[in-house]
Amino acid sequence: MSAVNRGIRNAFRNQVRTLSIVLILGLSIGLALVMLIAHQAVGQKINQVKANVGNTISISPAGFNPLSSANNALTTDQLAKVKNINHITSLTETLTDRLTTTGSAQPSFGGENANSNAQTSLTSPIKLNASDGGGRFFVSGGGSSLPTNFSPPITILGTNSPTQLNSSIGNPVTIISGKIIDGSKDTNDAMISNAMADKNGLKAGSTFTAYGQTLEVAAIYGISENGTQAGNDTVIVSLPALQRLSGQGNVVSSATATVDSADNLASATTAIKNDLGSNADVQSAQDEANNTVQPLKNVQSISLISLIGALIAAAIIVFLTMVMIVRERRREIGILKAIGASNMKVMFQFMSEALTLTILAAVIGLIIGVVGGNPVTNTLVTNSTSSSSPSTSTTSGGGLASRFASGGSGAATFSRPTGGLINRTGGSVRNTVRNIHANIGWSILAYGLGAALLVAIIGSAAASWLISKVRPAEVMRAE
Amino acid sequence: MLKVKNLSKAFKSGDIVVHAVDDVSFEVGDGAFASIVGASGSGKTTLLSLLGALDKPTSGTIEVAGQDITALSDHDLIKYRARSIGFVFQSYNLIPNLSAIDNVMLSMEFAGTPKSDRKTRAEELLNKVGLTDDKQLRKPGRLSGGEQQRVAIARALANKPKLILADEPTGNLDSETGKLIFDLLHYLAKKENTTIIVVTHDLSIAGKTDRQFKLFDGKLHK
Repeated sequence: MSAVNRGIRNAFRNQVRTLSIVLILGLSIGLALVMLIAHQAVGQKINQVKANVGNTISISPAGFNPLSSANNALTTDQLAKVKNINHITSLTETLTDRLTTTGSAQPSFGGENANSNAQTSLTSPIKLNASDGGGRFFVSGGGSSLPTNFSPPITILGTNSPTQLNSSIGNPVTIISGKIIDGSKDTNDAMISNAMADKNGLKAGSTFTAYGQTLEVAAIYGISENGTQAGNDTVIVSLPALQRLSGQGNVVSSATATVDSADNLASATTAIKNDLGSNADVQSAQDEANNTVQPLKNVQSISLISLIGALIAAAIIVFLTMVMIVRERRREIGILKAIGASNMKVMFQFMSEALTLTILAAVIGLIIGVVGGNPVTNTLVTNSTSSSSPSTSTTSGGGLASRFASGGSGAATFSRPTGGLINRTGGSVRNTVRNIHANIGWSILAYGLGAALLVAIIGSAAASWLISKVRPAEVMRAE
Repeated sequence: MLKVKNLSKAFKSGDIVVHAVDDVSFEVGDGAFASIVGASGSGKTTLLSLLGALDKPTSGTIEVAGQDITALSDHDLIKYRARSIGFVFQSYNLIPNLSAIDNVMLSMEFAGTPKSDRKTRAEELLNKVGLTDDKQLRKPGRLSGGEQQRVAIARALANKPKLILADEPTGNLDSETGKLIFDLLHYLAKKENTTIIVVTHDLSIAGKTDRQFKLFDGKLHK
C-alpha cells in the first residue's frame, strides 16, 4: 500500500471528525468560489458596460428630476449650437410626454391632475400588480388602492433619430414590421411595441388617436428579452410631430451627442458645457459609465477581500486539523520512522491525507459555488446598486414604465414634470448593470480544485514541519 | 556480529547531567539470543534506542556486521533501520488502521522490497508465527495481545534483519502467551540466524537466553 493510499485511508479513520472537517472546509471553499464567481462576473460586467458605452455625451435640463413637477427644459435653438461643436458627429434630441387612455380613471398623482388633452385610444400593455397589499403605490387622496378602471399611462417619445432608440427606450429594440419613421419630418406616423400592438389589436398601417388626432402605425418594434418591460408602453413619433401634438413648440427634454473619437470626448463635453452654461447638465458616457459601475467596483473589492479571507480561513482549518492529527499520531509517526520510513514518506502520507480532506471539501465547495454563485452575485450587485442610486436623472433609469414594471422601489409616483418632460437616458445602462449573470464554466472548476490544492499544501506545510521534528525514539518513549 | 564499544549517552536534566548509558561495551555473535535485564530507569530503553539507531550516542561506537552505525548519516540511518534492524515493542506498536498483513508489508515497502514479493513474504511470515489466514486480514484492534505481538514479530523479521531488538516483548502478555512468544522469538532467531537482544525485567525469561547482561545505573554487568 503506497503512502498515498495510506493517507486516503487515514482520512476516514475518524468518520465523524472527517465529516465535520469536510463540511466546515467545504463551506470555506464554497464561499471562496462564490466570491470568485462574483468577482469574475462583476469584472466582466464592468468591462462590458465600459465597452458598450461608446462615445456619447448626454445633455439634460439643469437639475432635472423625474420625480419633480418643476423642471426646466432645453430648446432646439440651444441645442443647434451643440451640433456645430468640433468632433460632434450627430445629436439625438428627444421629447417625452405622457398619454392617458381615454375613459381610464386617472387618480391625482402627487397633487397633480392629468392633462385632459393628452389622451389616446391606446391601452398600456403594462400589467400592474398593485393588489398584493404591499402598499407599493402611494396615490394622493386615494389610499393604497387604484381605481378599478385604471389603465397605466403611456409614454410618447418624440425623437429626431428613430434609428437610435436604445438609450431612449431603455432596452435594445428591433423593427419587426413596417417602416421606420423619419425623425425630421412632422407627420402623424408612429412606431409602437409589439406588446402595445397585441394589446390594442394593431398592425402596421392601423390607426389610433392621440391628442385628438389620428396617428398611423408606421412600424412595430420588438424589445430584446432582458427581463424588463421598459419600452413596451412607449409610442414613438418624430420630434417635430410631438412638439406640435403636445403644444410644446421647440422644447427638447434630453439630447445625446455622439463624438467622432473617445479621445475627443472630454474636450467635446467641456465645449458643450461652455455653450449651454447653467441651462443643462452635461455628462459624457464614460463619466456616466464610471458612475454607474462604481457600485460594481465596490462589489468587486468586497468579493476579492472575501475570497482571500475565505481561502485563508480554509488554509487555517487544514493547518489546525493537520496539527491536531500530527500531535495525536506522534507515536505512530515514531513507529513509521523506527521501521524505516523517511521524513519525506511520512510527510507525503500526511499531505495526501490533507489533500483527501480538501478534495472532499472542494466537491462540497463546488456545489455551493455552482448553486450560490449567481444568487449571491445578484444580491451583492442589487444591494450595492440600490444603496448607491445616484440622484441625477441621467442614471435614475427606466422612466415610468420601468418603475411600473419593477413594482417600484419605495414610493413610485406618476408626477408629471412641467412641460411633460421625462428623461429616460441612462436607463439602459442601469438595466445592463443590474442584469448580471455569472458564467460557471470549467475555468471556475479548475480554479476551485486549484484553490483546494493550494489550501492543502499551505495548510499541511506547517504540519509537515512538525512531522520532520518527531524523532524515531518517540516510539520508545511511549513504551 | 554486534560490537558495542565504550557507548555512552548523557542527558541534561536542568543543571544535572544524567548518564543514562555509561561506557557500555559488549559483543554478541551472529544468531545469538541475548538479554539485558535491569530495573526501571536503569537505561535499558536508552541502550536499545542507541542499538536500533533511533537515537545518537554521546560517545562510543556500535558495529553491526562490521559497519559503525554511529558514523552513518541521517539518510543512511533510515536505510539501516529499514533493512538491518527489526523492532518488537512491549505494546506491539502496530499501525491501527492497517490489517495484520499490511503492517508486515509496510516495513518491506520502506526497505524497498519489490511490490510483487511483499505479499508472499508477509503471508509466509504470518503463517510462521501462527496467524491464520482469516486473522491476517484483521486490523490490530480485532486481534488478541498475543496475536498482535506475533504480527509485530513477523514485521520485525520481514526484511531479514541482522539484528532484532525486543523491548519487554512479553510485558503486556499473560505468562502462558508470554512463554509462547518467547519460544517463538528463540526459534526464529535460530532458524533465521538473526541476533536478538531482548530487554526485560523478567528473570525467568532472561535465564533462558544464550547470554545475559545486567544494566545498573547505565553501567553494564556481564
